[in-house]
Amino acid sequence: MAVGAPAARLEGAEKVSGRARYTEDLRLPGMLHARLVLSPHPRARIARIPKEAALEVPGIVAVYTGADLPIGTAARRALAKEEVRYTGEPVAAVLAESEAAAADAVERLASVVEYEVMTPILDPMDAMRPDAPAVTAVILADAEAAAHAAASAGAEDQEKRPSNITNHVTYKRGDVEAGLREADLVIERTYTTPRVHQLYIEPQCAVATTDPASGHVTIYTATQGQFFVREQVAKALDLPLQSVRVVPLTIGGGFGGKIQLIQPMAAALALASNRPVRLILTRSEDLLLSTPAPECVMTLKTGVKKDGTLTAIEGKLIFDSGSAPAAPTGIGALLMGGYYRVPHFHVEAFEVLTNKPAVGAYRAPGATQANFAMESQMDIMGRALGLDPVAFRLHNAAAEGDPMPDGKPWNRIGLREVLERLQRHPAWTGRETGDGVGYGIAVGGWPGGVESASACMRANTDGTFQVVTGAIDVTGTSTTFAQIAADVLGLPVDKIQVITSDTDTAPYAGMSAGSKTLYTVGAALQIAAEDARRQILEIAAKEMEAHVDDLEIANGQVRVKGAPGRSLAVAEVAARSMRFGAKHPPIFGAGSVPSPKTSPGFAAHLVKARVDRETGAVKILGHVVFQDVGFAVNPAAVDGQIRGGAVQAIGWGLIEAMRYDESGTLLTSTLSDYPLPRASDVPPMDVEFIEVRSQYGPYGAKGVGEPPIISGGPAIANAVADACGVREVSLPITAERLLAALEGGRPRA
Amino acid sequence: MTVNGRSVSAEVETRFLLVDFLRHRLRLTGTHVGCAHGACGACTILLDDRPARSCLVFAVQADGATIRTIESLAQDDRLSPLQEEFRNHHALQCGYCTPGMLMAATALLAETPDPTETQIKEYMAGNLCRCTGYQPIVRAVKATAARRPK
Repeated sequence: MAVGAPAARLEGAEKVSGRARYTEDLRLPGMLHARLVLSPHPRARIARIPKEAALEVPGIVAVYTGADLPIGTAARRALAKEEVRYTGEPVAAVLAESEAAAADAVERLASVVEYEVMTPILDPMDAMRPDAPAVTAVILADAEAAAHAAASAGAEDQEKRPSNITNHVTYKRGDVEAGLREADLVIERTYTTPRVHQLYIEPQCAVATTDPASGHVTIYTATQGQFFVREQVAKALDLPLQSVRVVPLTIGGGFGGKIQLIQPMAAALALASNRPVRLILTRSEDLLLSTPAPECVMTLKTGVKKDGTLTAIEGKLIFDSGSAPAAPTGIGALLMGGYYRVPHFHVEAFEVLTNKPAVGAYRAPGATQANFAMESQMDIMGRALGLDPVAFRLHNAAAEGDPMPDGKPWNRIGLREVLERLQRHPAWTGRETGDGVGYGIAVGGWPGGVESASACMRANTDGTFQVVTGAIDVTGTSTTFAQIAADVLGLPVDKIQVITSDTDTAPYAGMSAGSKTLYTVGAALQIAAEDARRQILEIAAKEMEAHVDDLEIANGQVRVKGAPGRSLAVAEVAARSMRFGAKHPPIFGAGSVPSPKTSPGFAAHLVKARVDRETGAVKILGHVVFQDVGFAVNPAAVDGQIRGGAVQAIGWGLIEAMRYDESGTLLTSTLSDYPLPRASDVPPMDVEFIEVRSQYGPYGAKGVGEPPIISGGPAIANAVADACGVREVSLPITAERLLAALEGGRPRA
Repeated sequence: MTVNGRSVSAEVETRFLLVDFLRHRLRLTGTHVGCAHGACGACTILLDDRPARSCLVFAVQADGATIRTIESLAQDDRLSPLQEEFRNHHALQCGYCTPGMLMAATALLAETPDPTETQIKEYMAGNLCRCTGYQPIVRAVKATAARRPK
């Protein structure tokens, strides 16, 4: 039984033995080392870049500025031109024979670049004022943001404005004022979430090289989507797609943050120098110029009747998108309570530019923020009315067919089922009280990204098969693909090899983002495997003089059902389809699917926490995640996704934040300053699968990557409120912040 | 120095880091660089049997030292029990922190053959992982300890 049973990762052996190949391991003959000179100011005019300072360093080959290499889009220039828009924006690139020489040259040049410093716009509230200076004169749609926004239902009301507000989404139904009047209780609060970094352990990296014969450029890189990188590089360098080849190597973590960043720069430098170029960011450079989750300020006003019936949700989200449009406005507006049945709803979301690095996707972008506000608000309302928090949510939970904020119906969801499972769990029914201990719950979901996809399946004459896709394996999807192919073909998993091919040869697949890889590419692969199976049986039927419907495949043999003596090895069938003078066409399965309908995935978190009133420290004593996974094709991989996501949620809840000072300088620019959850921070954790089958995903599977991070933060905040009576409306709930609140003082920053 | 049982002699610049020496000179690329400032643990190796961050050591400082990297754990292409348990317990996803985790765990098990869960979490707290949520890693270390003849 290949499907539904835990399978160890196919590439596990290479990863535990140090043999897996990452981009940083690549060394090409004649390769140059690129390093970047970064702006120390968030907003400035570049007065002078005295390149000779760098060129004096022994081993330096070339120095480029934005004037030399005017590449990228207007919103995302590879190198700044004339003005810088954030601290950390690259203003020059140096190429050297060694990494050390490049580092020396960067240090020299960085100290002599002349800037005319301007007052930065760092607060989105300031940036929204009509008289605010513009962060950038250029207004445009952002392809990456659009790709992620596609994970949600389409925004109904998008405006493009000539100001720092670059996107505005509104979802509305009913009459919110009337709904608030009907309510017995109206609660209004403002919530904030910080800029949080994806913090993949492998920094951003790319190695580019040109082919002297064709002039094409090849980029070896860690990315979640090689076709997206190809498109962006081609666009930035004004090349036809055929001239750009992207080869994805093992990716050292992504979480939405490793899609496309430095690849156009690496490609441009390789083309300009006609040498292979390696560009690897240091950790500090990565923290300074990559694309984390946006800060978000949210106001929420909700009305509820005494019996717990929600009457109105009125909300506003303001995303600080940094220097380019990329905020998840649509998803944020959709998920600010959109999963509850409420007659009157009005939520709007703004994307606002500031002089900080452009933001990007971080696991469940928009959902983490909106859900923190909504699920905190639910807790406040429930407490005020003395309602059981699970029953209160169940009372209002939307179900299949109920309208989403955009008017489309929810497809089948397991929102109710995850809450009901939580309600019955011993950690909930057996709650203990006293000693500063509290419990919090929260629930939330991810709409599920969709995209068209294709895959193919090749036979080998020894009876092994190769699955070829363009999907990047970030979460273990290759192993799951092998399970599916093995299941369809009736072969052991070890007969299947899964290959993520490059952009020259792979069948199209979208980026591995939005929790859609298994859901879409897996579906295409299932069709490809069925296609290959049909071909095997047809050939075997002719060779065995049997009817195709009487044949089955088991243990690598094609057999006549009920006649175990009559069989033909799959390897032999394959061999007879691929040889000189073969009578049969080669076995070659192909599968393609359009974007399927979504199967949103919901998860509930139950957190038991203790608050230390002396220090403000929150200790999570127990954590249970209840997630509707549709069907767990590889339960081990699904379990891993949920645990990893839940621990990232603990980061959101208690410790993680990128902090800037008033001059726009990043204070958390090393891993010593930016806190990540550690092994010692992880509480005892239980994971419960709920399997409400998807009508569309392969075997009923749903996307599982995004849901487990969403509601962990608010569950922690609700547990803190239960434990000590303090309602924290800002994440992260650091010991310092909570202590200040416990002492009745104001928290620092 | 001796690296994975092999004697190595080389002349290097004083500023050359041990991790770069291992990765780029000896082509032992299993040791990874996640931060290069000693905070993430991805570059953990054993230096004279003690876990060390090879990004915080200059190659010249390791003159005469005995070094073990991830490449030394498997014998004749056979995974060590610790490697097997990491694989079996899904104690890895992207795999980037994994070599450092394995070297830290190797040192832990050498010092404390039968560690408690708390001891494992405390010992491994200097190695960051963003994918797994750590619990499978802790389980893998425990399972390895359980395999030792008592």
